[in-house]
Amino acid sequence: MQPYQEEYLSNLRQFAALSQRARPGALSYEQYAARMAEVKEQIVRLGRRNIELLRAGLFPVLDNLFDTGTQELEELEDFSFQLFNGQTELDVGLACQIHQALLSLARMRRDRSAMIRELYWLGLSRNSTVSKLVGLELSDIEEYIARMRLCFTEAAAYLKFYDEIDDAETRGYILRSRANMALGQFSSPSAKIALLKTTLKILQDEDYQEKAPSLTWERFIYLTHQNITSSISHSRDRVMTPEDMADIMESAYIVYQQRFEEAEMQGKQPPAKSAFAYYAIEYYCGLYDLDTFLAKIEGLLNAADPSDYSRDGIYNMISLPAFYSQYLEQYPDRIPPRREYIEDLYLRILTYADLFPGDLGDSNLFLYLRQLSLTFVETGGVPYGDFLERLLLRFAPGIFCHSHVVGEGARALCAVILEDDPGFFDDIDFIRDAPSPAEKRRTALEFAMGCGVFHDMGKISVIELYSRTPRQWFEEEYDMARLHTLAGHILLEPHPSTSRYAPAALGHHAWYDGSRGYPARYRRLDCPARQMVDVIGLIDWLEAATNSTQMYTGVQKTFQEAVQAAIELEGKRFSPLLTAYLRDPRVAGQLQSALEAGRQNAYRRMYGDALRTVPGQS
Amino acid sequence: MEQMDRAYVEQLERENTALKAALREAEEANQAKSRFLSNMSHDIRTPMNAIVGMTAIGLAHIDEKARVHDCLDKIQTASAHLMSLVNDVLDMSRIDSGRMVLNSEEFSLADLVHDVAVIVRPQAAQKKQSLQLRIDGIREEYLVGDPLRLRQILVNIIGNAVKYTQDGGDIQASFAQRPAPDRKKPAVWLDFICQDNGIGMSQEFLERIFLPFERVQNAAVSKIEGTGLGMSIVKRLVDSMEGAITVDSREGQGSRFQISLPLPISPAVRREPSLPLGQTVLVAERREKNARQLAAYLEQGGLKPVPMAAGLQAVTWLTEAQYEGQMPCALVLGQELIDMPVLDLAAHVRQLAGSDFPILLASEDDWAQIEYRAVRAGVSAFVPCPLFPSRLLSTLSSLTAGTGPESRTPDGQEEDYSSFRILLVEDNELNQEIAMEMLGMTGIQVETADDGAQAVDKFRNSPEGWYDLILMDVQMPVMNGYDATRTIRALPRPDAARVCIVAMTANAFLEDVRLSQEAGMNEHISKPVDVDRLMKILRGQLRPKAAKG
Repeated sequence: MQPYQEEYLSNLRQFAALSQRARPGALSYEQYAARMAEVKEQIVRLGRRNIELLRAGLFPVLDNLFDTGTQELEELEDFSFQLFNGQTELDVGLACQIHQALLSLARMRRDRSAMIRELYWLGLSRNSTVSKLVGLELSDIEEYIARMRLCFTEAAAYLKFYDEIDDAETRGYILRSRANMALGQFSSPSAKIALLKTTLKILQDEDYQEKAPSLTWERFIYLTHQNITSSISHSRDRVMTPEDMADIMESAYIVYQQRFEEAEMQGKQPPAKSAFAYYAIEYYCGLYDLDTFLAKIEGLLNAADPSDYSRDGIYNMISLPAFYSQYLEQYPDRIPPRREYIEDLYLRILTYADLFPGDLGDSNLFLYLRQLSLTFVETGGVPYGDFLERLLLRFAPGIFCHSHVVGEGARALCAVILEDDPGFFDDIDFIRDAPSPAEKRRTALEFAMGCGVFHDMGKISVIELYSRTPRQWFEEEYDMARLHTLAGHILLEPHPSTSRYAPAALGHHAWYDGSRGYPARYRRLDCPARQMVDVIGLIDWLEAATNSTQMYTGVQKTFQEAVQAAIELEGKRFSPLLTAYLRDPRVAGQLQSALEAGRQNAYRRMYGDALRTVPGQS
Repeated sequence: MEQMDRAYVEQLERENTALKAALREAEEANQAKSRFLSNMSHDIRTPMNAIVGMTAIGLAHIDEKARVHDCLDKIQTASAHLMSLVNDVLDMSRIDSGRMVLNSEEFSLADLVHDVAVIVRPQAAQKKQSLQLRIDGIREEYLVGDPLRLRQILVNIIGNAVKYTQDGGDIQASFAQRPAPDRKKPAVWLDFICQDNGIGMSQEFLERIFLPFERVQNAAVSKIEGTGLGMSIVKRLVDSMEGAITVDSREGQGSRFQISLPLPISPAVRREPSLPLGQTVLVAERREKNARQLAAYLEQGGLKPVPMAAGLQAVTWLTEAQYEGQMPCALVLGQELIDMPVLDLAAHVRQLAGSDFPILLASEDDWAQIEYRAVRAGVSAFVPCPLFPSRLLSTLSSLTAGTGPESRTPDGQEEDYSSFRILLVEDNELNQEIAMEMLGMTGIQVETADDGAQAVDKFRNSPEGWYDLILMDVQMPVMNGYDATRTIRALPRPDAARVCIVAMTANAFLEDVRLSQEAGMNEHISKPVDVDRLMKILRGQLRPKAAKG
């Protein structure tokens, strides 16, 4: 590998370590805050260095790709596998860029094997990205799924020429591409099952097997059955045909029944994951009713071991409750008799997460908790808003800190506005209807803080871009990052404790005059909370322009420059009613102080939380 | 004497009856006039009130640009309504006084139908209605008549259907032709039917529908804008074109208007489009009716359509066809696919099949709205729906005629780039060669420079306006692309500021795009250079000049 490639990979690993929540150990708050600032600096330095490395090392190669020698191309290929190989995911976005370039080269050279290989890896890289876009509507991510699926489809189309292809590796790519066409969401479960059934026939065809005996056919077939059984989770609220059901049951038998029998022979309980999947299939296939099914899941939940921190342990403690919540969410009449049980379950999960050993790494734990955030049932005992805040605190400290600062900045600006015009936010009913002027003010300021704290909540759905990409974004990544507004709205809107903050999540990147910004779904004039959304949009922009790590856009400003730039965008991006306040140096100064104080307060919260949740600290 | 008296009395009675009739007519006319004035004042006052009211609100919130914008939008709507009211009254007056003269000119039925579609589709979309415009058995596309007044008739009828159909309702409008052997010149009857499942009309109202100022009166329509003149004008226009209009309607179930108009066939002779007869065309469309229609028109042109409803199926088929050396002569994309948006398929096929493979989009969407995304995805040309065979085949003809698809407008007309000159600045010899090859397809004149300094020299020593566009590599020895651009922009000559400079670089970060903009570049292409993107930029930057020239 080239030195720039080795250094880039090493930086990625270093970045991953730095991004873990800082443990205070014996540090005082001041020492902890200084360390946080230092970590932030280190992250910025790493990001800048990575950008330099790509500019000096990778881009010139891509610049002259048609003229690049074989060895250098092999090193490039190797580099892309180090970035992403299906298991390790150091920088999937960059891997996509490289495979895309190599695919262009293969097309240009009409190198069939290289084309098939690059299509497969490009498809797999895209699948990795798409599979992490959680909590969004299918229509919002359809284009990314289509791009992924089209790569596999083109590679799989060479199945027709299977006999002419003489290397097993390329044959393997074709077959795996064929199977991978069924990855990702489908609008109809039948379409997915039909694709998988055809794949199964191909994989079971002896003619194909004989021509490539070195391939792991049994595994391919097993994984395809597993994929068929997983179709059930995509079809919760959609009608399935009896044929689909029969196919799923058949695959379920192959995947799970054998595992149960093996466990029984060894005198063990079958793994909860398999048991749950099997119960779910039986329930969907009409073998028993919902209450029986819920009782069966409760049995599994009760048997979960709170001291098991293995991957299976995390599944039992967090993922199973997430599925359980999903069914309750779908049938809310089943919630009241289970209220206490649900609260106990969630408290148990929070304790489990608090006590989770730091040396095991946080990424799996985060993925499972994020899954729970999408199906959370709010009963009052554990408010959803608190759960989300803890999620940010623990797993996305950068986003937590930024959001907290925006909240405090928004509160400071609102305090000034309300001095001038106490009715400024009267389009918002719960502010207008407050019983007294003092109460009205208090409600508005609390609302400002809450909107700030939750406005970027959707970033947890595209967390890889924000927390695991120590470089600037590529265009496609930037488009994807925009989805955080929709994801935030979807997360916050259904829950009583957070629904009022949903407009801020949706609209904080929209422009005041509607000429630009996103998402299109936010219509400013139809939103009663628009004045507050405007405030959050302005403060979010000021904070990001002055204080974020700035790896994504490469633009950084001083506070004064940012204020000036905001004023220049008056009436376009920002409400003139708000930028008018920025023209007053006294208000601008107050705002700057509020943002700085907000940062210190955020660090203090992070410090306190880290102390609280690390065993042995008090 | 007695006889004379009786005759006199009879005459008096007759005169008396006539006088009574005249009086009744005068009274009715007077009542109609009063009703006219009353309706007019009401109809004029309503939009005027909106204009006055919204102006006041706008002034009260003058600092809130978005609020003022909203007020201006509403004022614009009300003004447009007021203008249409005044126009309707003038039209009525012209028709009644016999001053309305119909034009007799050749027109394209396809143009007429598409003009109407562009007007009425957004109205229906706003109410989330399903509006289907269909054509059936159109043999003669070029006719003689008054296209302006025909458009007025069609827009009025379909516009009414949209107005009086609830949100989410269905409206179907169809155009058909039948021979008109009874006419002196060769002609056809154009049959237009518009059917909706809206609020419908009572039998009692149906008898008065073509009288001026008559509107359906019930709570459901109290908020619907209208002058009540539209149908009277339509009736009078249809009558003056020697056509017929009928209407069937049931309250709560919907209405069906049918108009038949005799229109002479244009005598002008047209050249048949030249097509690669017998070749296959891949048709990707899930809607069966559309797919059938596309296939029928392609067969009519001597081509072999291969229909596919799914994008994955289309890519599989194309990959196999490419490998076997049996690529179709084009891909025609329809309105939708089973498994993905059509433009996602277009983007992939553009990569798979290369830059010169024709991809044609036949869509109901407004081209102006989707052009950016469609061209970016690799669509070579656009044909609007409802689909006319002549449009489809002539566009395909221009795309398959041998030159690259990017040298054509969305309508398939060829553009000539040979009068343009490009300076290609690229240090890598192979890259230079590939870019030359890509550019060669367009006929454009290309000069080269090996680094930024050479580029600056060439530009400095060229006559003013010599180069229309500069393709600038960024990373080059001697002088990089950013510095070269800054130097060119700073040269003291008028064309230094306006010449279009396009960055070509593998530096794909957002910041790189910003840096190239800051250096004074107009566009940014990622490397390895995508032919399609390059062609799009040429079209975007050079076409406006072509239009001027």
